[in-house]
Amino acid sequence: MTITARPTANAAPARLNVRKNIDSLSAQELSDFRQAIKQALGFNDKRGFDYFAGWHGVPFGWCQHHDPLFLPWHRAYLYWLELALQSEVPGVTLPWWDWSTAASIPDAYSAAQADGAENVLAKAPIKVFNTAQKPGWPTETSRAPGEVPQVPGPPYQKEWAYAMQADNYTDFNQRLWNVHDTLHVWVGGTMGQVDWSAYDPIFFAHHANVDRAWRIWQTAHPGANPPADILDQSLQTDPAIKVSQTLDVNQLGYEYAGTQSTVPGSA
Amino acid sequence: MQRWTSHALAVPPRSSWQRADLEFEGVEHDGASFVMHVFLNNPDADEATPRTPEQRYAGYLTVFAHGDCWGDVGHCDIPEPVSAFDRRPPHPLIPFNATLEITEPLGDLPDGTGEVTVTALAFNKNGDEADVLRFKQLTLLTYA
Repeated sequence: MTITARPTANAAPARLNVRKNIDSLSAQELSDFRQAIKQALGFNDKRGFDYFAGWHGVPFGWCQHHDPLFLPWHRAYLYWLELALQSEVPGVTLPWWDWSTAASIPDAYSAAQADGAENVLAKAPIKVFNTAQKPGWPTETSRAPGEVPQVPGPPYQKEWAYAMQADNYTDFNQRLWNVHDTLHVWVGGTMGQVDWSAYDPIFFAHHANVDRAWRIWQTAHPGANPPADILDQSLQTDPAIKVSQTLDVNQLGYEYAGTQSTVPGSA
Repeated sequence: MQRWTSHALAVPPRSSWQRADLEFEGVEHDGASFVMHVFLNNPDADEATPRTPEQRYAGYLTVFAHGDCWGDVGHCDIPEPVSAFDRRPPHPLIPFNATLEITEPLGDLPDGTGEVTVTALAFNKNGDEADVLRFKQLTLLTYA
């Protein structure tokens, strides 16, 4: 792991942003992240949370599931959203929910109140981007953990370990999408439907953990890339990005860490 | 609960393979999300059946599906390409293949019987569970 990378050849090293476990954020980091989400929820333009939520399902439907593009598309998705959030509050990063060890929804996402106001991570309004509301559409997010009792709940330690045992991208991608699907359906409510799920802010904590899993697996399997015939494929995001550009998280400016501690130097 | 049981699938001798996968081909995901629990040679399995090796439980697959159609009429119909130059991305509702590795549970069956049936119990949240699991065909793959 590293905390700097060169964005282009011969460029000066740039400091990477660190994505952290939601349970390890300081009070200030969590408050900053909530503030970024809150500000993004306030925009009804391409800076807005609802615009990004709409990529995944209603109204744009650009997401990729159950195929080799699953991991690259969602990595790109988080990358673009994280930049938008950093435009609101510099330095914020997407936290991850480690459902391989945690048995329930993190407190940061379940507490009704936070910072003296409604917790924007617990419930969010749904305002579909540039689209008139239709009868039957949800107007706010909801969750119903265990609404299908036969769906196993977290922690998914065994499923995580099984994915990590894969020795090629195709198997890893499929094993990870399986446990990813299970978590979505276990959370239920908005998260249980592809087309609405990204309106719930917890979607991005879930997918940060999916992306982290890929990063960990990549480190253990250098060069184990997606199939060659999709590397040049453009992923449908705004703007588009190629699969090959998603393979190295350092080139996207971030890294995952369990802890981070920095002190001033001598200069 | 929806129960689906396959016809018998051919199983080669245990000494001839190292890994076994069940591949559910053409799984549709245009309705409610669901989970299916899979048993081998246990066509009477139901919701109360313990998911244990003794009951020949083989594992589960969860399908994160799209839910009800939210668009206008025809929005969820999967279109054919309009020409050979149609480079639009695939429709998101195109069925997919779901793989369940069953190396251990298949290997635990008595060797030499030569065949196995697969029973899938499918559950969703809506209670309209007669039509939860829809797929084209099931294949048992073994690998040397």
